[in-house]
Amino acid sequence: MFGYVRPCAEELKVKEFERFRACYCGLCHELGREYGIPGRSILNYDFVFLTMLLWGGRETCDYTFRRCLPGLFRRRCVCQRAQPLTVSAGYSVILAYWKARDNEDDSRGAKRLAARAVRLFLTRGYKKAAGKYPDFDKSVSSRLAELRELERDGERSLDRSADKFAALLASASDAAEESCRQPLKSLLYHVGRIIYIADAWADLESDLKDRRYNPVAARFSLTSPQAPEEIRESVRETLMGSVSLAVAAFNLLPVSYWTPVTENIVAVGIPKMINDVLAGTFKAAGRGIPKRPSNTGRTETLK
Amino acid sequence: MTDPYKVLGVSPSATDDEVKKAYRELAKKYHPDNYADNPLADLAQEKMKEINEAYDTITRARKSGGSAGGYSGGYSQGYGGSAYQSSGYQSSGTSYAQIRQAINSGNLQYAEQLLDACPARDAEWNFLMGSLYYRKGWLDDARSFFQRAVGMDPTNGEYRQALSMVSGANSPYRQTGYGPPAQGSCDMCDMCTTMMCMNMLCGGCR
Repeated sequence: MFGYVRPCAEELKVKEFERFRACYCGLCHELGREYGIPGRSILNYDFVFLTMLLWGGRETCDYTFRRCLPGLFRRRCVCQRAQPLTVSAGYSVILAYWKARDNEDDSRGAKRLAARAVRLFLTRGYKKAAGKYPDFDKSVSSRLAELRELERDGERSLDRSADKFAALLASASDAAEESCRQPLKSLLYHVGRIIYIADAWADLESDLKDRRYNPVAARFSLTSPQAPEEIRESVRETLMGSVSLAVAAFNLLPVSYWTPVTENIVAVGIPKMINDVLAGTFKAAGRGIPKRPSNTGRTETLK
Repeated sequence: MTDPYKVLGVSPSATDDEVKKAYRELAKKYHPDNYADNPLADLAQEKMKEINEAYDTITRARKSGGSAGGYSGGYSQGYGGSAYQSSGYQSSGTSYAQIRQAINSGNLQYAEQLLDACPARDAEWNFLMGSLYYRKGWLDDARSFFQRAVGMDPTNGEYRQALSMVSGANSPYRQTGYGPPAQGSCDMCDMCTTMMCMNMLCGGCR
């Protein structure tokens, strides 16, 4: 369920997009430095967002030039090592490890072996990260265990299952400065809720096919992936309501170096993602360095 | 004290109009309506106070300095506090009043306990359940309860208002411009054509 939280690049200034890319690359290098190749492999947009939010009231960011495997022929401008990058890298390893463990318990046969391989691949990094951030580790494992229990019982309330994942993400706010912890916690809660529900909608078809628990299907007693229009609208209302609450929380955060980018993510990127997911046109982010949108074959961006 | 210009996000050399515009923009952002039934309301109120003070400081300083101030008041009454109190108790029992108070003060656990213990499942009960869930951010459950409350008592304005709030009827983030346009709405292209037609008409009148 990663990669849903990203900016709408068309609405960013060129320099803001470059900064976003530098932060993405900075997180990748930090993951590589601390956790090696397994670390790099779990890089995703959601934790770039978290990194930018944890920046707090700092008004600058230092850059440096580095090479990497996908961009071997060009030295790229990346964010220099900073505390928010370190924290975010550690958190993403912890979450990825627990997700892999969850997958392992959930699946059977070859899929189970694959999930186990991922888990073993991440174990070393996880031990290091969990030693550094024991509170987050505890919070993730207990929330995911609670979520599993709800899923096993076929919980029919969408909010109740979404609450667990949302609370898990919200606990990442403990790493922030005291002054902005409360609004950040609220922001992450609502964003976590949006991710969970959007992901459930996107997985509707495969979950129904494999007879797995799906919170949206359970809430609306769906048996086929073609949900009626009124259900789609009802989910849209729920998600857009959360966007409003997320924006309200975001506005209470102090202005930071990253505000133009994070504001775009919350107020434009996420609503766009919701529209795309509900319309079935959402494409998961590809691997590799984020690319600036090109306009070939698209007219809607010009309107 | 913090720099009032920094609070409003303008440079000290900004004109009075620019200051006013920045102030209005921020006042809109932190308007109590955006934080109704929100646990962050206190923070928003503080922020609003900060902005009001900063704006007052700037206008006062500019007035005494001989520059044209002009604008006063406006949004300064914005946070009267009434926005966060419910509009009277329509219900019979005193415990509903207690529950309302618990929800308003953010004591959600206590409110939930009281609601669970309630024998009646009438419109007010459903409304309060909805309010409780809304405050938690559980919008889907909140809407179900509000719908039930409105269904039981369609004449109650408070219930209907709550339902329209949770349905995001006036959410400003519906249209992003990149997704498929909502059916029957006017998209940018329509707007553009309308503008062009209007422009032609205006030109023709001369």
